[in-house]
Amino acid sequence: MTAPRDSRRSALARLVTGGIALITAGLAGLVGLVAVPRSGGAAKRWRRAMSLFDLGTKGPTAAVLTERHEDGWYETRKQTVVFIDRDGEGYRALSAICQHLGCRVRWDDSRQQFLCPCHGGTYDREGRVVAGPPPRGLERLNVRVNPQTSDLEVEL
Amino acid sequence: MSRRLAAVLDWLDDRTGFRVINHHLLDEPLPPGTGWWFTLGSVLLFGLGVQVVTGIALALYYAPTPDHAWDSVRFITTEIPAGRFLRGLHHWGASVVVVAAVVHLARVVFFGSYRKPREANWIVGFILLHVILAFGLTGYLLPWDQRAYWATVVAINISKLTPFVGEIVAGLLRGGPDIGALTLTRWYAIHVLVLPPALAGLVVVHLYLMRRQGVSGPIKARAGSPRPFFPYQAWRDLVMAIAVGVLLAALAWKGAPALEAPADPTASGYVPRPEWYFLGLFQLLKYFPGKLEVIGALILPGVVMTILALLPWIDRGQSREWRARRGLLAVFTAGLAGVATLTILGGMDHPKAGPAGWNIREAAGAALIQADDRCHRCHVADGIAAPIEVGRIDRPADWLAAHIADPEMIAPGLREPPETNQRDAAAILAALARLRSEAPPATDAATAHLDIVVNRTCLGCHTIDGVGGKDGPDLSTAGRKYDAAAIERRIINPVDVRPDAQMPAFGGKLPAEDIRAIAAWLAARK
Repeated sequence: MTAPRDSRRSALARLVTGGIALITAGLAGLVGLVAVPRSGGAAKRWRRAMSLFDLGTKGPTAAVLTERHEDGWYETRKQTVVFIDRDGEGYRALSAICQHLGCRVRWDDSRQQFLCPCHGGTYDREGRVVAGPPPRGLERLNVRVNPQTSDLEVEL
Repeated sequence: MSRRLAAVLDWLDDRTGFRVINHHLLDEPLPPGTGWWFTLGSVLLFGLGVQVVTGIALALYYAPTPDHAWDSVRFITTEIPAGRFLRGLHHWGASVVVVAAVVHLARVVFFGSYRKPREANWIVGFILLHVILAFGLTGYLLPWDQRAYWATVVAINISKLTPFVGEIVAGLLRGGPDIGALTLTRWYAIHVLVLPPALAGLVVVHLYLMRRQGVSGPIKARAGSPRPFFPYQAWRDLVMAIAVGVLLAALAWKGAPALEAPADPTASGYVPRPEWYFLGLFQLLKYFPGKLEVIGALILPGVVMTILALLPWIDRGQSREWRARRGLLAVFTAGLAGVATLTILGGMDHPKAGPAGWNIREAAGAALIQADDRCHRCHVADGIAAPIEVGRIDRPADWLAAHIADPEMIAPGLREPPETNQRDAAAILAALARLRSEAPPATDAATAHLDIVVNRTCLGCHTIDGVGGKDGPDLSTAGRKYDAAAIERRIINPVDVRPDAQMPAFGGKLPAEDIRAIAAWLAARK
């Protein structure tokens, strides 16, 4: 083969390789666009937790919030547990999710502590870590009383 | 090429010897005159590649269960970025593959490329064609909408016609006593687990045999020296792939055809239609009624396919020129034309189901659904339940009926369930059935109120436009007989007009303005 023909061949070869790379990149881009999960859940808003009259007097009261939950194409109901307690004149709402690995804590009336069943995380009534592995205290949620309905609402 | 990249490639070549493989794969010498007609196989390969890639992407979100298949496809189309386009690519890509396969096959026939020594590869290609059609058939069911479900019902019923073993074949295809969950998982497994490796294996064999025997080249051998495949033929392949890719993207831009209502085995009167490449078979069936059906469904296609498979042994001449093969090419062309004609006839034979207006019960149901104090207590954006949207209703009718009668059944203690009487419930159910696939006509508050009142009060005894009770006269064309004032008198106190009237008096039971509105509305029905 002569030199000019050789260079023509390699130019054409580069063009074809480039074209194939372009098609591959296009398809890969599409797959990437589709495969990357969408981030971000629903925006926070005030949700009814319980009636003010159902709030216990001796310790935190667990409230179960039921919400519609969209899990992709699967629709289900998600239940979130929060603990609501009196805090002086106001109220305190704590998430029931242990800050260690996400288990659900329960309130132990006799010890006056929140206990995590998984790895022994222990929190006091205000959600501060007392013992165990949790790196930080229970998450505090905003809570308010709806004056019209006398409902306790938390921001979730 | 930079020196560093060259060094990396040299190292890689030293350890793997990839350049020899590359050279072997790409520098295949092609006979002079190998031109555009020989790009069709590559186009087909490109189309199959698109199907594999888009299919994998779809599988990330698809759920093969009757409860969720339809919902997951809807989710892909409406919620996933580029999801509509992705599904469009996969849908239209299937058509591109079928067309490319048939054109490729026709090219092989017209060029006589199946001749000795390429008989084995002809058979491999013949099997590949059926694998492609099996992909189309199994994939059609997966969206689990009415179209998918009923086309599959027909396909499985056709398989029952198989002599002697029909029930066994149909049972294997169904996976259970009825077409349902077990059919869906089975066809999904075939579509994504059985056919792809079969396709890949057969394609490799097909290409291996093509390389082993060499490309057949133009009908009349031309003078000149062979040229390597890459890049002298590859650029043609690329141009064709880009052209087909652009066409495919344009088709897919608006997505696949919209999902129909979710599969409903109880729906009566749905006219099933197969995907277009099975329309020819579908049409052929119509010419063989009753006991003869097996001829159109299996025997005739079987005979044609057998002849096609045996082509290399039927046409054993030496010359590949058309002049020497006139008879065979004429028969083949006639066959293609026959398939095309049947397909077109099948396509034209559309069921004439005009979009019927919403009858009074359906309209009343739509109005009740819209009312603030009922469904919208829960079914609103951000509500405890999903908003009621056209095309999103996928619960079966009996579930919906139970839910309307007692919403608490689904979500105990969440909210005070609305009171619903039987006639309202029937109306809501009727409206939901239509909302599966179409939006209600726009209406004003007065009409909505009237629809609800008529449904609640009149339809118990009277029929209007085919819905309602049979105890009283049909009121569909009441306006032909009476004017508004006469009708109003009859509603207020029927005995005033006819002493033997059975109808209860509504004067005092219904607000006077409602009675007037009903009378005016009925008087307008002529």
